[in-house]
Amino acid sequence: MSINVELPSLGESVYEGTVARWLVAEGEIVEVDQPIVEVTTDKVDAEIPAPSAGMIEKILAQEGSVVEVGAVLAIIDPEAKENAAPSTEPASVPPTVAAPSAPTATGSQSAPSVSSEAAAATPVARRIAEDSALDLREVQGTGSAGRVTKDDVLRHQEKEQQAAPIAPIAPIAAATAPVAQAPAQVPPRAREARRPAPNFGYTLQPGDKVIPMTPMRRIIADHMVYSKRTSPHVGTVAEVDLSGVVRLRNKHKNSFKDTYGISLTFLPFIVHAVTRALREFPALNASIVEDAIIEKQDVHVGVAAETEKGLVVPVVRHADRLSLSGTAQTINDLATRARTKKLSADDLKGGTFTVSNPGRQGNLYGFAIINQPQVGILRMGEIAKRAVVRQLDGEDVIVIRTMMYLALSYDHRAVDGAPANGFLNRIGEILEAAEFDL
Amino acid sequence: MGDSPLSVEWLGTIGYGEALALQEAAVADRVAGRTGDRLFLLEHPAVITLGRSTDPGNLHESPDDLRAAGVEVFEVGRGGDVTYHAPGQLVGYPILDLDALGRRDVHLHLRLLEQGLIEALETLGVPATRVEGWTGVFVDRSRSARPEGPERKIASIGVGIRRWVTFHGFALNVSLDLRGFDAIVPCGLSDVQMTSVAAELGLAGRSSASPSDASAREALDERVRNAVARRMGVVLSG
Repeated sequence: MSINVELPSLGESVYEGTVARWLVAEGEIVEVDQPIVEVTTDKVDAEIPAPSAGMIEKILAQEGSVVEVGAVLAIIDPEAKENAAPSTEPASVPPTVAAPSAPTATGSQSAPSVSSEAAAATPVARRIAEDSALDLREVQGTGSAGRVTKDDVLRHQEKEQQAAPIAPIAPIAAATAPVAQAPAQVPPRAREARRPAPNFGYTLQPGDKVIPMTPMRRIIADHMVYSKRTSPHVGTVAEVDLSGVVRLRNKHKNSFKDTYGISLTFLPFIVHAVTRALREFPALNASIVEDAIIEKQDVHVGVAAETEKGLVVPVVRHADRLSLSGTAQTINDLATRARTKKLSADDLKGGTFTVSNPGRQGNLYGFAIINQPQVGILRMGEIAKRAVVRQLDGEDVIVIRTMMYLALSYDHRAVDGAPANGFLNRIGEILEAAEFDL
Repeated sequence: MGDSPLSVEWLGTIGYGEALALQEAAVADRVAGRTGDRLFLLEHPAVITLGRSTDPGNLHESPDDLRAAGVEVFEVGRGGDVTYHAPGQLVGYPILDLDALGRRDVHLHLRLLEQGLIEALETLGVPATRVEGWTGVFVDRSRSARPEGPERKIASIGVGIRRWVTFHGFALNVSLDLRGFDAIVPCGLSDVQMTSVAAELGLAGRSSASPSDASAREALDERVRNAVARRMGVVLSG
């Protein structure tokens, strides 16, 4: 039994569409929901998916033809398992939505429009390649953004002739197979890698390594530049005595581990203290939107974490509603999922303030870049014992205490020095009082 | 508003090819339900994109000449005609599941994109409107400082749909150097003049090299970005 692929309704005022391109050929095996044809209407390109798995028995609407909604575009034979076309090879090629890294299909000669998307090339280079049945994707491009130029093609041909006096004959199936599968809109990863390196007047030296930025790195870089350009950052540092927190932590860390199954670190204490201080200083829990400062009702504290993929800032949502142990468990959960790459987009959204804990030695203190559109970020320095002066029975004495520097970066557009210092000082007071419910 | 409002993400400047790959991944994520609806806001470095149906006559200069001038030429697998992107143009790629939104209507999607842009432009003091028969957003000349002359187009729209998830979107001219459009006939419409927010507000665009103009331009870019993020967020999740 055959199944008709009809042009589905694309909207109330859409009566017809133009068949822009077939993504599959007759005889090809398709999976259910695999996009098989692109239909254009007005300014919309819609991909029509296969209603059923099977073999494309017949294509009824040719490219360029205008079809009405409900018209049959193709017929699928759902029972056909094997490809009836002369070549079985193309049928196993991944569908058009394949990942960017999917290997490109062969057969550029029979589908020039496909090859034009798969390999970037100048028109002249493409014509020469087509005339001489050369796959442009095999040619190393030296043009702008790695485009294949005429010279590249000629050089490639010369090299091939030298390397193999008798040119290997491409399998007929590969040369004539009706392949239309090259990822339509995904540039090959190679193109990404061939992005022109930024030019800072630096000439590459022998032995230099050129590492193309990953999209993630690019996003981080752009965000950092954007933040620095947008917000005038001011930095201020407070010295905090964590001795009380250390005592509390030592007293409870074993029972905490027994009860919750996780280690009690210093980070939850800091996040908890920040959260309490944010409630008292709403100016730091804010964003600038056009000409207004929005002080936010919710307190969602981002905790910056480094992962293999790069810097991520998962968010402790409604941190002000959590107890210290709740904060500890949430941070532990987010950190675990950050490491195992199981964070969802929602985990990373909506932070209203950020705490950064670089947590390595050699980090006395330092200023972080504000995570836009927030107006402040607190960076923890290393926790270490230091000799400090305290009063004992009216006498100044030098004692050993567990100390940490806390560095606050704030956006001077929204926050002035007094509230910023008050906020930072308040965090210190909360930590030194060490009154946390455990 | 639905359960998961639209997440608007400013991505900064991203190459056209990279942005395509990002969209592909985002569409796959949306189809699989791994993420909610998203709107990517970004800028492209100077690039001209050619659709498969591009009339060669709509490109005034050869691709090689353009590339030599530092303009990337990108041949995309979609329909539609030639487009131009450059810094100072706010590009928006909404990744929306129209099916989940109960809006299985591609033309409605186009009209909502226009609506979001028109509302954002109005808040910025640029009178904006639709022109019957042409997708995109135009300056409402009757309410503008220059009522005479040809239609002035300020934003272009073109979208893709895969399993009712949208990609591609809109390009709003903010402060870009409008001379870049001279190389093409935008969207194949020859009796239309391209304009920008800066041009309509009488501010210097990117053709000016003055540093004070540059900082005013950045402030404008950001104001427009915020206005579009807010209005589009409301209109698209509505």
